[in-house]
Amino acid sequence: MTLDELELELRRLRGVLAVGFVEAEGMLIVEVQVGPDTYDDVARDATTLAVQHAGGSATVEIVRWGDGDPHEPESRLRLLEVTTDPPRGELAVRLACAEEEAVGHASSAHGLAGVVEATVYAVRVFLPGLAFLPGWARTIETTSDRRFLVVASVTDPVAGIHRRGVADGSSPIDAAARATLDALNRTISRDLV
Amino acid sequence: MTGASESVVEAARLGSGIATVYRALDEIVDLYSLDDAAVVVDVPGFGRQVLHAGRRPLHDDHRSLHNAEPGLYLDPAMDDPVLADLVIALGALGLRYDARHDTQDDDTQDDA
Repeated sequence: MTLDELELELRRLRGVLAVGFVEAEGMLIVEVQVGPDTYDDVARDATTLAVQHAGGSATVEIVRWGDGDPHEPESRLRLLEVTTDPPRGELAVRLACAEEEAVGHASSAHGLAGVVEATVYAVRVFLPGLAFLPGWARTIETTSDRRFLVVASVTDPVAGIHRRGVADGSSPIDAAARATLDALNRTISRDLV
Repeated sequence: MTGASESVVEAARLGSGIATVYRALDEIVDLYSLDDAAVVVDVPGFGRQVLHAGRRPLHDDHRSLHNAEPGLYLDPAMDDPVLADLVIALGALGLRYDARHDTQDDDTQDDA
């Protein structure tokens, strides 16, 4: 099955609105965005199709849009800034949720993984029970206008769930923080309300 | 004819419908030095579909596209109704072509 055929089959699933692909670390990440008219087993069916295309090196993420009242305001975390403190070997990620702010700190010795870590720690200020642990982050593309596209991963080790997010930014650390939020926001937005 | 349009034509001649739509979106982004492009189409058998340049996933900034009417959505916005109509038509035709091609392949396999 070619990538075109995979996308066609995914778009035929009921309620699928958009399909996107990112390759990172030899892994094909398939993001399937579905509307409220989709069905319960769409994740299973999409994963089956992706595995037929790429074997075990594919992961599928279902993003549900439009659940409930489409005009209902949703709480989402926003990135305010990522700062580094080279003398202390630290970096800080500052987030906001509505009017509240939180800061997460991590060592800058581990590159973008430290950004994921600091972002997760900042999220924990809002959600102390957050089950996800920091994973990794990689820059997968640098555009000609010096924008950086980064994939970040977080893991819930108990449930065995991996979430990956993709975002671009003006620097790799900015993009890594945004990608971490991209991975988490879909899961935690309901808990933030 | 420019090199860019030759590339779209080549995709249309030899590639799939979906690949041709993405090629067109990518070349519109390059040609007009845009940040982004997406086309929303409504196709029988598929319903409302959003195709995003580069085959990239949509993010929060794009969520308005899920309820958007069929159209060509460019960032920054650019008012070119003819271009928009052509890309919408290409998007719908591309999906319909691939779906029909796929069905014919299945019929051929059944006959064999």
